[in-house]
Amino acid sequence: MSVKEVVKEIEDIVTKFGGLVELATDTAIFIEVPRENLKEFAKWLYDSGAYLKTCAGADERDLNSKFAVYHIFGLDEKGLDVVVKISGREGEPLPSIADVVPAAEWCELEARDLLGLRIQGHETKPRHVIPQDWPEGLYPLRKDVAYDYRPPSTIEKFEEEFPREAGLPVGPYHPILHEPEYFELYVEGERVVDVFYRGFHVHRGIEKLAESPRFTYKTIPFLAERICGICGFVHSSCYVLAVERAAKIDVPERAQFIRSIVLEIERIHSHLLWLGIAAHILGYDAGFMHMWRIREPVMVLAELLTGSRKTYGINIVGGVRRDIDEDKKKKVLDVLKNVREEYKKFVEVLTSVPEIVKRATGTGILPKEDARALSVVGPTARGSALNRDVRKDYPYFAYKYASFKVPVYTEGDNLARLLVRVDEVFESINIVEQLLHALPKGPVVVESYEIPPFRKAVGAVEAPRGEDVHFIITGHGKPYRWKVRAPTYQNLPALKVMLRNTPLADAFLTIASIDPCFSCTDRAIVIRDVRSGSRKVLSLLEGRKYASK
Amino acid sequence: MQVNRIAAPLKLLIIAFKTGRVTKKYPFGPPLITEAFRGAISIDPAKCWGCGACVLVCPPNALDIIFEKEKIVIEYFKGRCIFCGMCADTCPANAITVTKEFELAATNLEDLKEDVVHRVSKCAVCGKPFAPAAELRDVMKIHPITEEYANICPDCRRKRTARAFGMRFGASI
Amino acid sequence: MKLEEKLKSVRRSPWVFHLNSGSCNACDIEILDALTPYFDAERFGVKLVGSPRHADVVLFTGPVTREVLPKVIRALRAVPRPRIVAAIGSCAVGGGIWWDTYSTIGGFPKLQEILKRYGVEIDRVVYIPGCPARPEAIVYGLLVALGYVKQKVSKVVKTVES
Repeated sequence: MSVKEVVKEIEDIVTKFGGLVELATDTAIFIEVPRENLKEFAKWLYDSGAYLKTCAGADERDLNSKFAVYHIFGLDEKGLDVVVKISGREGEPLPSIADVVPAAEWCELEARDLLGLRIQGHETKPRHVIPQDWPEGLYPLRKDVAYDYRPPSTIEKFEEEFPREAGLPVGPYHPILHEPEYFELYVEGERVVDVFYRGFHVHRGIEKLAESPRFTYKTIPFLAERICGICGFVHSSCYVLAVERAAKIDVPERAQFIRSIVLEIERIHSHLLWLGIAAHILGYDAGFMHMWRIREPVMVLAELLTGSRKTYGINIVGGVRRDIDEDKKKKVLDVLKNVREEYKKFVEVLTSVPEIVKRATGTGILPKEDARALSVVGPTARGSALNRDVRKDYPYFAYKYASFKVPVYTEGDNLARLLVRVDEVFESINIVEQLLHALPKGPVVVESYEIPPFRKAVGAVEAPRGEDVHFIITGHGKPYRWKVRAPTYQNLPALKVMLRNTPLADAFLTIASIDPCFSCTDRAIVIRDVRSGSRKVLSLLEGRKYASK
Repeated sequence: MQVNRIAAPLKLLIIAFKTGRVTKKYPFGPPLITEAFRGAISIDPAKCWGCGACVLVCPPNALDIIFEKEKIVIEYFKGRCIFCGMCADTCPANAITVTKEFELAATNLEDLKEDVVHRVSKCAVCGKPFAPAAELRDVMKIHPITEEYANICPDCRRKRTARAFGMRFGASI
Repeated sequence: MKLEEKLKSVRRSPWVFHLNSGSCNACDIEILDALTPYFDAERFGVKLVGSPRHADVVLFTGPVTREVLPKVIRALRAVPRPRIVAAIGSCAVGGGIWWDTYSTIGGFPKLQEILKRYGVEIDRVVYIPGCPARPEAIVYGLLVALGYVKQKVSKVVKTVES
């Protein structure tokens, strides 16, 4: 079925459910349905093979006195995003689709915390992302709350991180973690039986900051780039992709090629970094040092092309700020040839050493059905036999001009995820070489453009960790609502499944095998509103509160 | 996957020998810098107008403009700078150059600040300070305007224009 | 132990502890990069330790977020006196690109004021700007903290002739 026929079929079903289609472009279709029919419509979409990407709450009281929740689904085979909107006034209950689509739980909790929405089924769940001493009743993402209002800090309200019986606290500061996050592993002897995760220590308030007077469309790519230091260019590319789709800006081809080349160079550096860290976690320090030695010329290349080793700063709406001339092109090709040879020789050693092979086989298994229900993305999905890659399914930038394979392994254990990343480095080097040889001439930026307000768009880009989704509603001079869903946010709930029945010694490799990037996950401040009634339930659920009192 | 207990370490030794030593002898040798690197910026006082365009565009507000009675100061705080170069792209006078300085460690926060101090011109009619003297001088170079317009503050200029219009139509002001 | 004695005794081999108070990770991977073969901080005797109790110098990154504040205070209290801190990156030195949002405290200088209220004294601080700070800049900053080299920057006031 072609895209037009799929759109027609969706339109017919939507009218049956009492909704209407607001807009249909060739990459996305925007639908609004009445609140009561959301669950059935979501079930129909999920059973037809759609994956849930994310859901975003928005405060639209200035426009139509209602709060809105946008659920973003994706049809991989057709490359079509389906955005379903429901809305309700303040205090009205909104339905949840978390029992039909388990992947929706986290993002609905976030919408509840950010905006104080009453989403049915989630009222009694504990605080998701908010700092523990944030006052109740204050929702930062509402338009009437200032982005820089800081309630006085009350450190005494934080609880001691005391684990429940037989719980092993890992974090927030642990030798093996590079970021503050807190896991409690519940062990029976040497086997892990459950895990409790308190994250969001890296929440910095980025989504609210983008709506503040300090930022405009021009300077937000710099903000987006610092959401994560390892995959920053992906976030800024995804943001400009969403804005350009919303405003229908025609970007020159040369700029799209340059963006794809830099994206692939970032993927190479990120996978080499991860392979080194995985070797280090397993105790194979020689692997760590050699892998980072092979990675260093790639960082120097990135500096040559963009001006900085990390946080490149070359993306702007309408194009890029730096160009690639013949000298640089030759240098890139030479360096990548060397990197490929050294990497090939070293990877043979790495994947035949007993420290890696014996410890990574058969641990941290994620079965295919759980991976589908939780909508995991990236190498985590491709290691569990799901063939999902945004570069092939929803083509963007210049990827349609390059031919490459997507490696998929079926075992679902740590070794499968490792091998997916090993293969992806070779594919990325191929892509960069193909794109460099086919670089078209022309300008690299479009000078003037118009961004009309209140247009919606979805952008999705394949980060080294998976699919990164940005949802934009344009406003006057800056976005009205900007929602970022980083790949690790989607993969973290899968840890509960993967850590079951793993030996404790392999728990760290399992946590590292989804390539967690907690600064991507925590970027928005989620403020929770825990009503006084449910606080009691909170105490019962978390025995730690008893331990600290 | 095949596990090689003997061949793998041998291969690793061969790789290590062939590679040799790659350590850069920094700080006793040159750092690993390319020609495109963006380090700290430097504002040229001979060209700066004091207009504040760089202050508006700086994403982390590392550039600040401070209005005092007798002077206007553009303050550059290296500590919060993100080295993006947007100020250099935006400056209308081309006064900002991006250098390759990255050895910026300091034990005192005040050492990381750089000030460009402008003298303020006073209005010839009402005596109020209104614009940096360098801005007026350079604007006069680009657009040859007589002195009688350039050193009058916008309020007095408006009054003058209104009076000129009125006199054309016969009002007596 | 006094600060001068400590600096003399750790000159040949400072043990560092890496403390991330909510940064984006770019400065953190540059810290790890400083330990890899190309930049090799280990020739100065630098070793990454797992507990703040063993640390001589704390490498601090991130604009202290609200959620992580009590944990950072607890970790810094565990460092034995005299405490030497290297604040790395634009977030730790000045608060970064999000210096005024509701979820961050505003970098190490603001954290120092809070630490004084809780009785945690920091004896020597070195600020290393950069976004992210290059591995060479981190090595340079560490040498400044230990007293090997003199710092290059100082406050500059330029007056415009007109």
